[in-house]
Amino acid sequence: MKSVLRGVRVWVVVAARNKRYGPREVARREDVQMQGQVTCEFKFAPFSCHVRRQPVQDSQEKDLSTQLLEAIRPAICLDKFPKLQVDVYVTVLENDGSALAAAITCASIAVASAGIDMYDLVIGSSAKILGERIFVDPTNSEENTCMDDDPARVGGQLTIGLLPSLNQVSELTFQGDIGFNVLSQAVQICQDTCHKLYPVVQQTLEKIVKDKHKNI
Amino acid sequence: MADIILSEAEKIFIVHGIQDNFREDGRSCDDYRQMELETGLISNTSGSARLRLANTEILVGIKVELEEPKPEKPDTGRLEFFVDCSANATPEFEGRGGEDLATEIMNFLSHSYSSETVLDLKSLCLVPSKLCWVFYVDVLLLECGGNLFDAASIAVKAALFNTKIPNVSISQESEDTELNVSDDPYDVKRIDVSRTPCIITLSKIGHCHVVDASQKEEACCLARLMMAVTAEGNVTAMVKEGSGSLDPSSVSDMMQSGKKIGQELNYKLLEKLKEEEQKGLKRQTVGFLR
Repeated sequence: MKSVLRGVRVWVVVAARNKRYGPREVARREDVQMQGQVTCEFKFAPFSCHVRRQPVQDSQEKDLSTQLLEAIRPAICLDKFPKLQVDVYVTVLENDGSALAAAITCASIAVASAGIDMYDLVIGSSAKILGERIFVDPTNSEENTCMDDDPARVGGQLTIGLLPSLNQVSELTFQGDIGFNVLSQAVQICQDTCHKLYPVVQQTLEKIVKDKHKNI
Repeated sequence: MADIILSEAEKIFIVHGIQDNFREDGRSCDDYRQMELETGLISNTSGSARLRLANTEILVGIKVELEEPKPEKPDTGRLEFFVDCSANATPEFEGRGGEDLATEIMNFLSHSYSSETVLDLKSLCLVPSKLCWVFYVDVLLLECGGNLFDAASIAVKAALFNTKIPNVSISQESEDTELNVSDDPYDVKRIDVSRTPCIITLSKIGHCHVVDASQKEEACCLARLMMAVTAEGNVTAMVKEGSGSLDPSSVSDMMQSGKKIGQELNYKLLEKLKEEEQKGLKRQTVGFLR
């Protein structure tokens, strides 16, 4: 099932294999497990960023793939499809910041609308920290800003993934250099953002399901 | 991660022990195992360190080389990390088996050193957009005994402390720049490591979290939080790892203890490194590299 999330200037397309393809059988016999398996592939389209990306997956994209996998795997009922696997492909068409957070939300909608059992949706949210100030859902230019007037140049970026109704953090990643108190504050703010986004995502999912049944 | 397989009963034994703040080897939840750290062992490197943390054995060699700076950062030097999980550590790493783990360690190390505040990389630039020092940090994993990320970061910090960069004088004649490397092998400069981070891994086991998990404990753990903490308690990188998820309140508890232990570890490490340094050539090597 495909889902497209379009923010102001963020385009993320996610395809999770649905009935037409699977959850498919695991390709190699030795990889068969009694729990379902999930794979993720995160890719920026070559034209999606300010500078051109190579068509082959680079190390940053590999890193983001693992982050995404870790974010959505805890939400999927893996014991419901033993010996099978679900593949999640994410392609970012236009990146204007917070791509990982958008990909997490989008991937969880895609998996849910593909009819794969889940414990909860996963909502992603990210924040850029500059000094003592915290910016939720930063744009690309905000992501690349550092405070030149500040001698310590403290700052960083945080992304979290939250399962709102279970209240569990499935993903948390930070890079930069900031004091402990600001970081805890940012984690809290990101969690609140996720809770705020949750009803909107639920409504969207409901609409997707209704539309799908209208066509049958 | 190089996982071992445990039965349910063994897992329950470990989890219940941790609930009572008493781990399989007698430690409490906030204790590290005994470390053995040596620096300056390998003659062909600019700086090196060997760390043995119980059964985890890590060797780090740093080579400094003169290269052209990256065009996007013309006035800074840089660090390049490489991690090799050798098949000596465990048969699982044979062929390309250790690659995923190696990339994971490598990425987290470079994330934690990515901030400009961590190391003074500007001082490593000799001629802007022409010449700078590049630190090639090669981490070799020789034996797996759990807690590889923490061990790798401690060994990297020790090796950076030990790194000696030759003093170079530059004479600019019309278009060409000429480099003069000092003949005296003791005419070197060092890099300030007081702000470099150590990685602290907090593994959630049952309802509690532990630091420095052994391999058996890692097998019982579904989610861990890794943070790179500096001596003053700043965080330079953080990531949640593992197939499970964490409660927000336990995330903040883990962050608290990560910060506390990280500061303590950084402080003790630097103290010990300085102590070793003062012993000079009289010190005895105790490891296998005698």
